[in-house]
Amino acid sequence: MERREFLKSLGIAGGTVLAASSPWLSAFSEVDHTNSSRAKLAIIGPGSRGRFLLSFLKKNPNADIIALCDVYQPSIDETLKLYPQAKVYKDYRALLENKEIEGVIVTTPLNTHYQIVIDAFDAGKHVFCEKALAMTIEDCYKMYEKHRETGKIFFVGQQRLFDPRYIKAMEMIYAGTFGELEGFRAYWFRNNDWRRPVPSPELERHINWRLYKEYSKGLMTELACHQIQVGSWAMREIPNKVMGHGAITFWKDRREVYDNISCIYVFDNGVKLNYESVVSNKFYGLEEQILGNLGTVEPEKGKYYFENYDPAPGFLQLINDWENRLFDSLPFAGTSWAPETANVNHGEYLIGEKPKSDGTSLLIDAFVEAVITQQQPKNIAEEGYYASALCLLGHDAIEAEQILTFPDEYKLNYLNHKKLTV
Amino acid sequence: MKDTIITAKRKKTEIITFIACFLLANIVNLYAIIHYKTPMKELFTQLGYVLLFTIGLYVGWSILRIVFYYAKRLFTKQKR
Repeated sequence: MERREFLKSLGIAGGTVLAASSPWLSAFSEVDHTNSSRAKLAIIGPGSRGRFLLSFLKKNPNADIIALCDVYQPSIDETLKLYPQAKVYKDYRALLENKEIEGVIVTTPLNTHYQIVIDAFDAGKHVFCEKALAMTIEDCYKMYEKHRETGKIFFVGQQRLFDPRYIKAMEMIYAGTFGELEGFRAYWFRNNDWRRPVPSPELERHINWRLYKEYSKGLMTELACHQIQVGSWAMREIPNKVMGHGAITFWKDRREVYDNISCIYVFDNGVKLNYESVVSNKFYGLEEQILGNLGTVEPEKGKYYFENYDPAPGFLQLINDWENRLFDSLPFAGTSWAPETANVNHGEYLIGEKPKSDGTSLLIDAFVEAVITQQQPKNIAEEGYYASALCLLGHDAIEAEQILTFPDEYKLNYLNHKKLTV
Repeated sequence: MKDTIITAKRKKTEIITFIACFLLANIVNLYAIIHYKTPMKELFTQLGYVLLFTIGLYVGWSILRIVFYYAKRLFTKQKR
């Protein structure tokens, strides 16, 4: 989707509710003046996700990938097919010494993000880092602090922040369309082993790094990270408590990360976000269900549903009642005993059409815009930080089998959090 | 097959019967609108269903009339 088309699809030209719900869209405010500028970027670790991002950058006339770094030759070869002129590095530190590079896109395995991002900021580069940010909340915090210290642009790969369906949903939520938010149910169900083919056994841990604790926290950092952020975005609040459980129940194939997890995040007012991920059943797919007292939103489907909708015409209600009187028999009780099965409510599309894109192209385009204009869009680094911090807190709760609270020392001055001052 | 003749009187009776059924169906619709507190515009928007109900009433009333006609004929034959 083109940027202008995207802004048009939201029906926006600086609406106040939209500016409050998704302030980072200001990244596109200079779009008319940046047409002739080009951001010189490099990518570190262009695996499958990295090349997915590059496929969008390739279509962006304002972006130029001038360098890449990887230790795995097949990834280098594939990336050179997209950008044959890019200079190849085997060591990211040598790449960071290249003064021509303005910004780096970090799409390496999770355990390497921290050092690369810190070094990139120190080298004066703007940074786009794939989620999750790091292996610990402390490291995420240090990365955020480094961004603040250097004043360089910092984006995290939370593409839902730029997904038109989510943006519209949040605009409606902030306008009170769905009433008071009373609960969240987020889930991601898959039915596959999450493995990638490995050319030789010694590369197993490097290629399937998501399955090993040394490199990743598994489902919490790779999937939940996207979805938990939707809860705090909608609530305008960071949940402060979390409890959870994880286990390997199906894929007993020497993986170390859980294939079956569940977490409950609790907001200060008692509203809960229930998160579940199972990778041996895909029937329900993925969704974040946002439950208000007036309606429900399912942004992944791109739909919303009101609790009370227009009743059937009176004439049909009358016929229906006659029919019920004639043929129905509830000999012992009235309707209060009838089971409360789910409503058959087909809902409405949030943006008047079936969902087309997930926001990734707009997110990476926004990063390019920010690099050109040298302006950090409001709240985007904070949203990225808390998305990672919350999923890591959930992971810690699962490991500890305890209720954990958000550590005061890692709070930012953001939403309901206040930075700890010593 | 022999020709059948529909008299003007019969036509008039059937048209009046159908109009009566249509009026009755509209009264039922009006009652439903008031009872279920739905918008008055349903007097027009639900005309399709009202028409179906009219046909139902007319067919039902016609069956009753046929049954009554044959029952009466049987009764008068036995009397003779």
